[in-house]
Amino acid sequence: MKNWIHVFSVIDFISVGILLTAIAMNGLRRLESYVRAYIFNSLLLSLLIAIVAFMIGGTHLYIASVTTLVSKGIAIPLLLKKIVRQMKVTRDVEPYISNTLSLTISGILVAVVYTSLSEGIFVTGFSKNVLQISIAVILIGLFIMITRKKAITQVIGLLFMENGLFLAGFSLTFGMPIIIELGVLFDMLMGVIILGIFSVQIKRAFASADLDKLTILKG
Amino acid sequence: MGIENYFTIGILFFLFGAVMSCIVPRKAKNHTYVLSAIGAVNLIISGLYLSAGAQIHIPSIPISSTLEFSFQGDALSGFFLTVISILTLSVSIYSIGYTKNIDNKGLMGFLYNLFILSMYAVILSGNIITFLISWETMSVVSYFLVTFDRDAKSARAGLIYAVMTHIGTAFIIALFLILYKNTGHMDFPGIKTFTASLPDDIKTIVFIFSIIGFGTKAGIVPLHAWLPKAHPAAPSNISALMSGVMIKTGIYGFIRITMDMMGNSPDWWGITIIVIGAVSSIIGVLYALMEHDLKRLLAYHSVENIGIILLGLGASMMFRSNGFYSLSAIALTAGLYHTLNHAVFKGLLFLGAGSIMHATHTGNMEDLGGLIKLMPYTAVAFLIGSVSICALPPFNGFVSEWLTYQSLLLGFKSSSIASKIISPLGGAALALTGALAAACFVKAFGIVFLGTPRSSHAENAGESPLSMVAGMGILAGLCLIFGIFPDAAIRMASPSAFQLTGGSYGLASGNWFLHINETVATLSPISILITVIVLSLASIVFILSVGGKRKTTYSDSWDCGMIALNARMQYTATAFTKPIRMIFRRIYLPWREIKVSYHVKPFFVKSIRYSGEITPFFEKYIYEPVTTLIHIFAGKVRMLQSGSLHLYLLYILITLILLLIFGD
Amino acid sequence: MEYLQFMIIILCSPLIQGVIKKLKANMQGRVGPGIFQPYYDLIRLCRKDMVISSVASWIFRATPYIVFTSTAAAAMIVPVLTTSSRFGVMGDVIALIYLFALGRFFMALAGLDTGTAFGGEGSSREMTVAILVEPMMMLSIFTAAISAGSTNVIRIAETHSIYYSPSHVLALSAFLIAIIAETGRIPVDNPDTHLELTMIHEGMLLEYSGRYLALMEWAHYMKQMLLFTIAIDIFFPVGIANTMEVYSIAVSSAAYFLKILFMSVLMALIESTRAKMRFFQLPSLLGVAFVLAVLSLLTYIMMGK
Repeated sequence: MKNWIHVFSVIDFISVGILLTAIAMNGLRRLESYVRAYIFNSLLLSLLIAIVAFMIGGTHLYIASVTTLVSKGIAIPLLLKKIVRQMKVTRDVEPYISNTLSLTISGILVAVVYTSLSEGIFVTGFSKNVLQISIAVILIGLFIMITRKKAITQVIGLLFMENGLFLAGFSLTFGMPIIIELGVLFDMLMGVIILGIFSVQIKRAFASADLDKLTILKG
Repeated sequence: MGIENYFTIGILFFLFGAVMSCIVPRKAKNHTYVLSAIGAVNLIISGLYLSAGAQIHIPSIPISSTLEFSFQGDALSGFFLTVISILTLSVSIYSIGYTKNIDNKGLMGFLYNLFILSMYAVILSGNIITFLISWETMSVVSYFLVTFDRDAKSARAGLIYAVMTHIGTAFIIALFLILYKNTGHMDFPGIKTFTASLPDDIKTIVFIFSIIGFGTKAGIVPLHAWLPKAHPAAPSNISALMSGVMIKTGIYGFIRITMDMMGNSPDWWGITIIVIGAVSSIIGVLYALMEHDLKRLLAYHSVENIGIILLGLGASMMFRSNGFYSLSAIALTAGLYHTLNHAVFKGLLFLGAGSIMHATHTGNMEDLGGLIKLMPYTAVAFLIGSVSICALPPFNGFVSEWLTYQSLLLGFKSSSIASKIISPLGGAALALTGALAAACFVKAFGIVFLGTPRSSHAENAGESPLSMVAGMGILAGLCLIFGIFPDAAIRMASPSAFQLTGGSYGLASGNWFLHINETVATLSPISILITVIVLSLASIVFILSVGGKRKTTYSDSWDCGMIALNARMQYTATAFTKPIRMIFRRIYLPWREIKVSYHVKPFFVKSIRYSGEITPFFEKYIYEPVTTLIHIFAGKVRMLQSGSLHLYLLYILITLILLLIFGD
Repeated sequence: MEYLQFMIIILCSPLIQGVIKKLKANMQGRVGPGIFQPYYDLIRLCRKDMVISSVASWIFRATPYIVFTSTAAAAMIVPVLTTSSRFGVMGDVIALIYLFALGRFFMALAGLDTGTAFGGEGSSREMTVAILVEPMMMLSIFTAAISAGSTNVIRIAETHSIYYSPSHVLALSAFLIAIIAETGRIPVDNPDTHLELTMIHEGMLLEYSGRYLALMEWAHYMKQMLLFTIAIDIFFPVGIANTMEVYSIAVSSAAYFLKILFMSVLMALIESTRAKMRFFQLPSLLGVAFVLAVLSLLTYIMMGK
């Protein structure tokens, strides 16, 4: 049982770490740092699943942990890094709003999530904490998508949202059915590949990866 | 003598003073303030009795068969009575010297005494009529005092002040009308018995109207625009009174309506007040930082301190709605304590500013400097005021802000998540305003008193006459006393706090310490002071024993070896606050203009002209559009008044016809 | 005896400064001054004559004493080795922060007192840094105080003996950044330089000499050690004694000096691996710290521990 108590505190730390990596993205300036934040996030996520698997003893969770590690911790980041390297000159993240304001708004988002989800949910304890954090991660991912110009940051934001969604489902059901998770994962992988190809092509055609410039296409 | 006697004598002395300043020959007019001072002493005593729980009966003055002026005095009124009287005493003594050489001395004395009496009437009112009439009198008399100097600047300031204070009064009238209509009573005790049964939406309307109405007088953001214009325009002794106690009547009205008469309130009221207080204090001090006119800077600081008082009040309301009565009493004591402290140190600072302007004939900091050697007593008084307003130990500001922090910290105990988040953030906001205020007063004191004089105004200054110094000295002494003996002020504020919140002891205080029962937190300013003194002596002894006796030489400032240092090389007030202006540029929206003129472009520069300013956000984006709208509307309405007799007769005819149709 | 534990802070603070300097030197591949050098410096300064600017007023002469004694008074409030001291009745965490603010206020005034541009610059920047640091420091301390139920430092130290949770770690990180800012270390200010553009603290001290300078420098060392001690007491007071028994005092001393050593190494590491930031980039750094402090509060509210 001493193991369990220790593990509970560790779970808290890891979930806060997941939230921190999401918030940290608001303060970062280069694309490689974004990818690194995503790697940390996925690593912590797979670690969390592994520990819960250890506690509960469900083998399907171990499989989920390893899958997360391999796909989100290694495969997708490799793809992302390749895309980033092909960007060459413009490795800067171009945000619409300043970093400080972005950090503040993320903080407010977290506060709003905590406030509104504190009562009236049917889960308590560990699940509630992780659920709140996962919804905060989803919102922050969406926020990143809204406030950054580059296409690749949209993808990373989407990936964070997917992580958060997975974590939310996980906290409620202790292991989403594998099939669904694999399906979502495959979708994401395809999405990244396609967007990667498009980014490079867009850049070649228009000499800029700025999504704003896409508005030229209309009319 | 009983409390009634002290009270009557006090009021009579003020009336006497008003009359005397009209009658007495010109040379002696400034001495009539002695009468005001004696009156104030009497009222301090009666105020202390009242706040300790004595009863006072002031007879009502009937006006007609159904209306009368009635008065009531309870612990809250007693507290405010004491606060007003303490400041009046000091300002009266100060005025003896200050008004010696101004024009229209008699008018000033008359208006001064009338102003004070009207403020007493406001806080002692027992029914709606008395309150409204004394409120209006206070506003009108202060308008005349603001425009006393009869120049264009004062006239403009007076206009804005009159308009805004009447907008506030309109809301107060509306609020009282609603109360009368729903409870059927004009007198305050009568209203109180019926308020519990008011429907919630009526209560909300009353709450909002009282925030707007009393907030205009108190100067909360965004209703504060008149403060930085009106307070500097008035003569300095009046500014001290206005900033020190007149805006507190707004706080009094607010407490009276929302805490006394409304009784139990929903949770969100307290949280709203905390948020308004936090925003108000931060914005007030941000704008204060950028001012280089001494009195405008002090006026903006009043906005800040009202915000701090509201933090305590909001916490109190929040606790009360959650049922934590003793915590609510602590928070309300914090708010009232800060009211007292602000009156004392803000009055002191304004009197100091008056002393500076009296000696140098300018209030612009960029022209002053080095005054500490020419005006040593004023410098000490201003320093004590500055240290107090920055809430540094061991002076009074520190204790009341400490209590406010503790109340906000205890806010964590209430159950709703929103208050759990807002209370510590309120504490962070309070820390921010404290740091901003410290920067502002380092600037104010440093640029004005330290360094070398920046202009001939400052070079020729001399110390103020004894009465002015004495007036400031009283307040400075009180800053120290209320700081190291917090017990005195808490005993003044607690009875009203207990009465209004239904709480009882949560705050233990002895002669030399302050202790909050709930959190085992203690504070003992006097032991800090004693420690500092003992340690200073010890360190002097230690240093001398290690180093031996050493020589001290006086020479020019080293400044990394620069020679020919002159006054223009010093930091200016604008330069001092440049980093802050850059950091908060989203709020300030600063702009600057540099005009360079050349002999031969671009090599030989003839002159460089630098001008910079910050955008006064509230005035440009809120007040000016509203004023323009009002002007347009007034222009249209003016068409009704065409001056033609026939048109007026037509109006009368139409009105008569309408009365016939719709009259009953 | 427990009343004399603040003497540890007064007497050992130059040693801590020397240790940090030595560690920094070693990390940067230099030999560096000896660890007792600050003591020799202080004694040497006391033995020198003073030159005071004729522009300065009595505030210039009073400030060293005010700064030194307010820091020493703050040292008396904080429990160093044992929590059984009665000096805690003087004040709590908020009183500590405001005692530091008192010293800072007078130092800034002294900077303006001599009528030089450098003094004004030092004062202006010091007050600006304080504006950015105070809310964040207050918030992180508030979070710790809320979890302990009191702002009394002794109470917090007693309650938190075995305590470790995410909100605490976040608050501690925010407080560490606050310590760096308050003690004027890289990346906020450079303590080793005497060049005008990089000095905040040095700017205010520029005109001081002789024994006044000794007092101001000593107060600076004391403030640094005191901030370390406060961080230890509030965030990881493991091993602090609650009584005056010899055994628990011995354990407590060992734990204390080990923790101070750890923090010194941390400070030296941060100073050696970072460059000083431009002054106008400081709001970003301190903004990050503020978000950490807010997060620690939110985490505490959410998780309850």
